[in-house]
Amino acid sequence: MLRIHELDVAAGKPAIVLIRGLSVTVAARQVVLVTGPSGCGKTTLLRAVAGLVDPVAGQVDLDGRDGDAMGWHHFRRQVMLVGQRPVLLEGTVADNLTTPFAYRSVDRRYPAKEASATLATLGLEPGHLEQEARTLSEGQQQRVCLLRALLLRPRVLLLDEPTSALDDATTGRLDALLRQWVETNGAGVIMVRHDRERARRIADREVDLQPHLAGQREGVLA
Amino acid sequence: MTGTLATAAATSAVLPVGVLQLSLAAGLVLVAGLVSLLLRLGLEWRLAIAALRTVVQLLLIGYILRYVFVLENVWLLAGVVTVMVLVAGHAAVQRTEARFAGMLSVSLIALVASSLLTTWMVTRLVIGVEPWYQPQYMIPLLGMILGNSLTGISLCLDQLLGALNDRRHEIEMELALGATRWEAARRPLRDAVRRGMIPTINAMSVVGIVSLPGMMTGQILAGVDPLLAVKYQIVVMFMIAAATALGCIFVALLVYSRLFNARHQLLAARITKR
Repeated sequence: MLRIHELDVAAGKPAIVLIRGLSVTVAARQVVLVTGPSGCGKTTLLRAVAGLVDPVAGQVDLDGRDGDAMGWHHFRRQVMLVGQRPVLLEGTVADNLTTPFAYRSVDRRYPAKEASATLATLGLEPGHLEQEARTLSEGQQQRVCLLRALLLRPRVLLLDEPTSALDDATTGRLDALLRQWVETNGAGVIMVRHDRERARRIADREVDLQPHLAGQREGVLA
Repeated sequence: MTGTLATAAATSAVLPVGVLQLSLAAGLVLVAGLVSLLLRLGLEWRLAIAALRTVVQLLLIGYILRYVFVLENVWLLAGVVTVMVLVAGHAAVQRTEARFAGMLSVSLIALVASSLLTTWMVTRLVIGVEPWYQPQYMIPLLGMILGNSLTGISLCLDQLLGALNDRRHEIEMELALGATRWEAARRPLRDAVRRGMIPTINAMSVVGIVSLPGMMTGQILAGVDPLLAVKYQIVVMFMIAAATALGCIFVALLVYSRLFNARHQLLAARITKR
């Protein structure tokens, strides 16, 4: 389904190559865990897969079509990134959940019932829907951001540390929900997680970035 | 009606302002300087320099305008217009908190397009001057337009770059959810154009009640019939509103085209804080 081929990723100004020659394929109903030392470029990698920044080299395509062919907004609507830092717009939680359904690239109607049900699964109350989104705790905001993406039903979800602000119990719920969502929708997931042991329980595969790190740091020191 | 507007304005009686009158006016500035001294505001020098600049700059432009009006040389006119636009374009980008490479050219293009279009519409279609660039009409009108439009463009730029910089995470989040660049940029663009239009809309709302515009006051002092001066002022206000609106929309769209690319990415790295 999603194919990442020989991807080189860089960050910074001037750009420093962080990851070299990474190839990963994600099939339907597959959860791929990406691991690597902190600061090695995992976030940049996910941003490059979503096309929010350009990779230095390599291709990313969904069923053989890349963002240029599909139109990048259509591509991102199918290969959707949920960043580590929760970002919510001004307005209530409900406003935040419904806003993307007005985008041209989104062909679904806002599934209100599914939203309430999933909200409960994630340990949030129905009353939260009418609450000002930015007044929620970071952990709650993080779950709203995940929910917002789940409701849009992308083909592939890119999750950057989705559990970084969650306690153990909530992480467990989120993992169960994610696994179920992947099975029901035939979707794929690439996730970056700090709690590797825990994440392995729902991952089908693990990709270690270590062999792909560009080793620029030594280059800079020398 | 428009043709008579122009001739009537030109033939009215004017009381002469001589050296004595100018000195008396300078006395008023001296009073202000004295107040500054007494209250230790520390403004005396700045005031003195500002007053001196007013005299020198205005006298200079008076002589230049007289020269330009009499000669009716197109190249000379083009030179004066170019200098006016360059100075205005430069001033428009001076006060923004965030900036990006190419900001000056963006502001210049927006200023030139909006102000020349509006000046042409007023001189040609409203007042009916032939040719439309007759210096006696074009230069004062263009000056007024540039002065107002540059404030609008400057505010609009400041608001837009500030929003694109401070809210880059929100914009990227929307892009990540499948928004087009236009869908993600719409809100900051709208807010910026509104911000740029506020002074003009405020001025239009209170004109004649709270403030008597300088041009109209000047005309009335120079002996023009107040009603005629008012008609001119209405034309001027509409012209300023149109120029400011166009200038803000142009500059916002130009910034949008520079800071978002065809791959629907926000090029936030191009924006730097001062």
